[in-house]
Amino acid sequence: MTKWLVLFRKEWLEMVRSHRTLWLPASFILLGASQPVTTFFMPDILANASNLPEGAVLQFPTPEPFEVLASALSQFGVIGLLLVALSSMGILSGERSAGTAAMILVKPVSYASFVTAKWAAAVLLAIVSFAVGYGAAWYYTGALFEPVGWREVGASALLYALWLTLVSTLTLLFSSLLRSAAAAAFSSLAVAVLLSVAAGSLPFEQSWNPGRLSTLAASSLNAAARPLGGGIGSVWLTAAVTAAVIAAALLVAIRSMKRRPSEA
Amino acid sequence: MDHLTNTQLISLIVPLAILQAILMITALVVLVKAERTRGPKWLWALIIVFFSLFGSISFFLFGRRLN
Repeated sequence: MTKWLVLFRKEWLEMVRSHRTLWLPASFILLGASQPVTTFFMPDILANASNLPEGAVLQFPTPEPFEVLASALSQFGVIGLLLVALSSMGILSGERSAGTAAMILVKPVSYASFVTAKWAAAVLLAIVSFAVGYGAAWYYTGALFEPVGWREVGASALLYALWLTLVSTLTLLFSSLLRSAAAAAFSSLAVAVLLSVAAGSLPFEQSWNPGRLSTLAASSLNAAARPLGGGIGSVWLTAAVTAAVIAAALLVAIRSMKRRPSEA
Repeated sequence: MDHLTNTQLISLIVPLAILQAILMITALVVLVKAERTRGPKWLWALIIVFFSLFGSISFFLFGRRLN
């Protein structure tokens, strides 16, 4: 356990040195807060920027506060996922090609703790970034529109954090399987997109599909839309399947590092 | 929509501008200190300054050569 902590701290130190602990939370905050702000100013922006004919009357319904928060979530779903995947795309392949993985793994350190320490650090940073960004979105929504209840926000944050954890684990998995960091980021994003498109478009019940987590998170913001897609039991099923996929991905990543600790 | 005064609005937006400025300044400092970058430094400086948020992020992601 102490060895694991040492590895974890080394990983965290590397993230601090590469300024990832600054720019990832900062960009999540800016993304999250800009959504309520642009929604608030949208009528002014449209009135000034578009060449509307003289005397045109624009009438916008004031969006419900939970809709504003849900649109912040959908921002995280596009740009946030991209940033999370890009920030950890070289997490294993980089160590492998630089030879540092081999250097660490000749020491009495298990492959499992090497991989899981990296995973824990990457996931922790992703979740903390998401939490501060979502907190900013929540605060700005409360200040500019109406406050949203903390129960709804908490539930949606938990569901969304699970989805982010899955994407970040997939990035780690592909980073252990593929040589190229860009290919790893691309593959994990492609899997995430496929899952959520399947969840949104296929015409049968998919309680097992982790891709519906982001939709669940968005709809759990609306207190009127209870119970959530298929009831609380089906939400738990989704969460359990996601956790199992995460565990399996970690096992595969560990095996892959065992088989090929360095580029040769 | 009109329940906020201008001062309140400014006090909401200024923190975001400050955060953005911190990110940009950090990126510029890292850029100046870096021994080698991927591509010319002046180009990265322009990218960081003109594409504010995404410029800084893409510099942190792709701009530096580690080793």
